[in-house]
Amino acid sequence: MATEYEAFVRDRSHVLSGREVVLTLRDLSPGRKKYRGVNVRAIVSRPPRAGEPLLWIRSVVGVKDPDPCSVRIVEELPEAFMAEPYSDFFEAMEKAERR
Amino acid sequence: MTHNDFRSFLSAIEASGDLCTINDEVDWDQELSGIGRLGCERNGPAFLFNNIKDYGSHMRIVANPIATWRRVAVALGQPADTPLRRLYQIYAEREDKLIPPVMVNDAPCKEVIVPGDKVDLFDLPVPMVHEGDGGRYLGTWDLVVSKDAKTDWVNWGTYRFMVHNERLLTGFPRPTSHLGRMLLEGYVPEGRPMPIAIVIGADLPSHIAAAATFRIAGNEADLAGGLGQRPVELIKCETSDLYVPASAEIVIEAEVYPDRIAQEGPYGEYPGYRSGEMGNAICARVTAITHRRDPILTLDTTGFMDSSATTTSISGAIAIKRRLEKHEIPVVDVYVPPEGGVHLTVVSVRRGGAAVAQKIVEVLTARRALMSKIIVVDEDVDVFNMAAVIHAFATKCHPDRGTHVTRYEGRANTLTPAYSAEERIARSGATVAFDSTWPPEWPPENTPVRATLDSMYSPAVQRRVNERWKSLGL
Repeated sequence: MATEYEAFVRDRSHVLSGREVVLTLRDLSPGRKKYRGVNVRAIVSRPPRAGEPLLWIRSVVGVKDPDPCSVRIVEELPEAFMAEPYSDFFEAMEKAERR
Repeated sequence: MTHNDFRSFLSAIEASGDLCTINDEVDWDQELSGIGRLGCERNGPAFLFNNIKDYGSHMRIVANPIATWRRVAVALGQPADTPLRRLYQIYAEREDKLIPPVMVNDAPCKEVIVPGDKVDLFDLPVPMVHEGDGGRYLGTWDLVVSKDAKTDWVNWGTYRFMVHNERLLTGFPRPTSHLGRMLLEGYVPEGRPMPIAIVIGADLPSHIAAAATFRIAGNEADLAGGLGQRPVELIKCETSDLYVPASAEIVIEAEVYPDRIAQEGPYGEYPGYRSGEMGNAICARVTAITHRRDPILTLDTTGFMDSSATTTSISGAIAIKRRLEKHEIPVVDVYVPPEGGVHLTVVSVRRGGAAVAQKIVEVLTARRALMSKIIVVDEDVDVFNMAAVIHAFATKCHPDRGTHVTRYEGRANTLTPAYSAEERIARSGATVAFDSTWPPEWPPENTPVRATLDSMYSPAVQRRVNERWKSLGL
């Protein structure tokens, strides 16, 4: 498992709610596979919890939130979400969250 | 004659002094792209990176193949210092003489074949283009082949694609793009995956044709032949019936899912901003990769003054001119200045006025509305001389009567930075024409006279001044 990830979110308060959320994480481990994407069901904590991988949150224009979080991955999800092309990605994640 | 593959083009721009080769190790994670970005911002050379961190020297990257007019000229087989107006003329002439492609059975792009189950996209030195992008972008200066589900129409387009994992790509050909329409109208309703081929490092005329504004149902392979003045050689893909340029450095064969998506973007785009348009894209699974030995990955360090700015400047302007002529606008010249991020067009007309400006803005926003600002000038203004254009705009455009705005829904350019998030989602926007012409109803005796040497002085004085100027060695 990686020790550091980033995620792009539209609604930061939802992700930081302490509930299980669906996210696409980008693995920040150095090397050839840096920025590999993985879809997960996870719980995000701020401030970061000891022993959990660090998570940096970015906005939809890529602006990095300077305060770090941590992430506990509950379940790894399939590599893509079921939705027609050009569907709203964040809505597709929310739909996956409700399942 | 143009160069028949990407490597011979590189030799030509090296000879003209427009290629900088870097043999020291450079990091694919932002550093390499940062060098390319600065090159765009300083009108610098293209860069060939021969030693990439984590990948060594068996895979190389070229950044910004034709981000300057000098390199566009070489790509069209002309001397690097060919004047811009002449480049526009050459393009327009060749666009009128389409040459169909020829099919071949053996090609450099098949030197190495990686079947789908062995594909790992991280084996390619895909750069992280900008800090804060959603991922690593493989398709920045590419040529994406797709085929209409019901007809023989084959589309080539330049569309961005991002690496999600070892075999999955996400991309953002706009839903209003030719590929987007093919997918939504032909494949999604039937639940069929759409085959595509992402071609990297083909001959330059093929890439220019792919990036060009070209008519619906027109085959860009024919246009590439016309621009290159020779037929493009095509070869069949390994896993689909699509055909790709045989000389390509890398071909990524894939299928776009009709029913799945994954994260795509955000990405710092050609208007020069990262606008937050992420979240409505397509998703494709790679079925095979073929490439030349020691392949060269091409990169457009997307943003202000990138390679797409020059190509769209020429092809977009010519397409606009043809469209205006078709609608009987008295157009003389059209220029799309690359500095405008494909959002600004300058149109000169034989006879201007409010009605003409209004008609221009309506014609240019009828289907897709990529341009948000149009400056309409009289024919005595050289559209390629932006100083003259700014002068006309600043002085002749009435701040009230001279602005003609049209609004639209469902066809706006979602990459326009000025639009709000809500406007981008609804694809709603507006385009304004700035009428910088004299009202035709003004009598000539009362129309202001421009205070320039060529307008306000007699021919005899002009001649004496020019002679004096020359004698002074100025």
